[in-house]
Amino acid sequence: MKNVDNNRKSYLRRSTWAGLMLVLVAGLTLAATSLIQYYYSKKGIVAEATKRAETQLEATRYRVMDVIDQTEAAVRNSLWIAQWCLDVPDSLSRVCQRVVEGNPVVVGSTVALVPGHSRRYPLYAPYVCREADTIAFKTLATADYDYPSQEWFVKPLETGSGYWSEPYIDEGGGEILMTTYSEPVSDRYGRQAAVITGDISLEWLADFTGHIDIYPNAICLMTSRTGHLMMSPEQDQALQQSVAEGVDVFRESEEFKQLQQAMLSGESGNAVLTAGKIKRFTFYAPIERTGWFMCIVIPEDDIFGSIRKTDRIVKLLQALGLLMLILILQALVRSQSKYRTLNKNKEKIENELHIASSIQMSMIPQVFPPFPERHDLDIAADIVPAKEVGGDLYDYFIRDEKFFFCLGDVSGKGIPASLVMAVTRSMFRTLSAHEDSPSVILSNLNNSLAAANETDMFVTFFLGVLNLTDGHLTYCNAGHNPPMILTDSIVTLPVEANLPLGVLKGMDFVEQEVQMHYDDALFLYTDGLSEAENLAHEQFGVYRIEAALHGRKNAFDHLKNMQKHVTDFVGNAPQSDDLTMLFLHYLGCETTASEHRITLDNEVSQISRLASFMDDVCENTGLDSGVAMNLNLAIEEAVTNVVLYAYPKGTHGTVDITAVKNDGSLEFTITDGGVPFDPTAAPEPDISASVEDRPIGGLGIHLVRTIMDKVSYEYKDGKNILTLIKNL
Amino acid sequence: MEVIISKENKLVTAALVGRLDTPASQEIAPQIESLKADAAGTIVLDCSQLSYISSSGLRIFLSLRKAAAEKGGKVIVRNISNEIRSVFMMTGFLNLFEIQ
Repeated sequence: MKNVDNNRKSYLRRSTWAGLMLVLVAGLTLAATSLIQYYYSKKGIVAEATKRAETQLEATRYRVMDVIDQTEAAVRNSLWIAQWCLDVPDSLSRVCQRVVEGNPVVVGSTVALVPGHSRRYPLYAPYVCREADTIAFKTLATADYDYPSQEWFVKPLETGSGYWSEPYIDEGGGEILMTTYSEPVSDRYGRQAAVITGDISLEWLADFTGHIDIYPNAICLMTSRTGHLMMSPEQDQALQQSVAEGVDVFRESEEFKQLQQAMLSGESGNAVLTAGKIKRFTFYAPIERTGWFMCIVIPEDDIFGSIRKTDRIVKLLQALGLLMLILILQALVRSQSKYRTLNKNKEKIENELHIASSIQMSMIPQVFPPFPERHDLDIAADIVPAKEVGGDLYDYFIRDEKFFFCLGDVSGKGIPASLVMAVTRSMFRTLSAHEDSPSVILSNLNNSLAAANETDMFVTFFLGVLNLTDGHLTYCNAGHNPPMILTDSIVTLPVEANLPLGVLKGMDFVEQEVQMHYDDALFLYTDGLSEAENLAHEQFGVYRIEAALHGRKNAFDHLKNMQKHVTDFVGNAPQSDDLTMLFLHYLGCETTASEHRITLDNEVSQISRLASFMDDVCENTGLDSGVAMNLNLAIEEAVTNVVLYAYPKGTHGTVDITAVKNDGSLEFTITDGGVPFDPTAAPEPDISASVEDRPIGGLGIHLVRTIMDKVSYEYKDGKNILTLIKNL
Repeated sequence: MEVIISKENKLVTAALVGRLDTPASQEIAPQIESLKADAAGTIVLDCSQLSYISSSGLRIFLSLRKAAAEKGGKVIVRNISNEIRSVFMMTGFLNLFEIQ
């Protein structure tokens, strides 16, 4: 288990690394895509903001320019009449009145004479303005208002052209933000004689400046050429403050100075200004001739607020996704590692059971020929295991001149089957060690298997005990495929319908017997052979088995031949079951069906065996009991003679008796390797002699002669051969 | 092979049960030998349960018959089967025994 633990640990380590890498890659991919998306979204949003701001700027600029143009036109259109009225200063107020009345945007106007132009008035500046719904006539030439030094008066004369003044708060005229356009007026000699002006209120600017609704915190500002904010004192204080703060901070920033330079050179454009931690997008455009600038300031948060919000949501979702990925991977790794551990354990168990199975297989005799010293038996057997461990078995051994053999098939496949197979095989060996009867062996085997059978497995089983001396086979078949017996023909061995082993305890098994003769053979197999299927799902079948068994071959070649047949038949179909075969070729008891043979030692007690031998002979020949007893008597007499006299006292020797049934006769041959002795040469006893004269011996050979029809003797190859023929 | 001997006055009966082949003859030889003590009287050999006899068995019968002849007794063979009777015939034993 320690090894498995280590494997598991190293697997966990590897899996964790793989998982981490996966999460990392997924995270990087997500981050990259969201960065790219963010970048392009931002670019789009900046473009959108720029477009909105520039549209707003342009619209506002047109509105302002409209007022500017109207004012300039109003002033210029009165230039000629002002020139004409220069000589009559008192009429100049009329000119001013005309300017104001004729142009609704103009709130006030003056024609201020250059000092010294008129001899009558050193200073003269009539001023006409709107006051409520009426027109008021005033003069600017007062003691406390030194008009010749005012900017609106000085600048046009200096430049000789129209001039827009810095916006100013009109202290006299209602505390409103105002600006003045002024033009120089020349007399008919071309001398600068006066300045004509038009004052306009900038109150309407409030409509354009301050909050604009393109973004929540967007502000539109207008500054004079000196950078002063053009704003009415009546405008919202809070706004004023917030704008002023923003602008004050701007003023100190380097960017603002550059921005101002750009504005002064009459360029329009945009810039990002940083004040404190707040970035602001600034879009600006100049207003021609006035030297004013418009700008729209939008905090970065307003522009990117939505995208940042989206970005945050996306990032949150991505994080959640990654977290879930990690959790899923962790769960996967755990279950995988558990599965792998299980798999590893399973593999290990299977491997060990394969080893166990092959150990079991190695206990099964697999060396051929198994009994090289014996010439009365030719054995071959083979198990071709399917891929899975299976439960087929065969086994055999020789005890007391008896050949015990078995072949079986455990129901099912796999490890349990192979275990049952191993148990069955070892029980077969144990139970057969002291018991000759197949039915007794099977009953005990069945009881043991049934007692321990908790898995309802059963074993089909064939057990045979072949007496190698005389070819007598006793067998018992427990639900297995009946073997084929090869005599003059090839037929299925008749079997009783016994239940398989392990099904029911206490079952009796019916034993059967058959006489095997020289050159007879048995072929045992499992259903792995008869039920071998080809690709068309046809089974090999018993008749193909029978066909393949024809022809004279040794046991090994028979199996090879059978294997080849079934392989050719099956083709590429997979082998689904173990295929087990056993071929037994009996070569002992070299007699024909009408031949009997027995070998006895030179001991009197051996003569008792003759009786059953003679019973067999007579039974097979179909003789009646009277003839049978006489034959028995004749043979006993002849054999007794050999047993008692052929070998010197105390030495061991044997006597062979064969009985051959020929047409119309029964021929016995009694052969011994003892001293040459011709019983036929013995004189006939006198059976009519009186009791007193009767010899004790000599009756035996007399009986032989009397009972048998022909008695002949020869001594050949060191053997006494006595041939006795009885005509039937 | 079994021999059951019973005595009644001067009549001794020996019932032979089974096959009297060569080994059996050697087996029962001592019992038959003991019967010879009564050879002056009548010895009945009950063969109703004798299924087989070989020359060794016949030899035992003959030795008993000879003893009786010496001592003036007699041996009666009783209830022999046809098969054994034919053996007696083949060997001339029918003439040597009183067969009942």
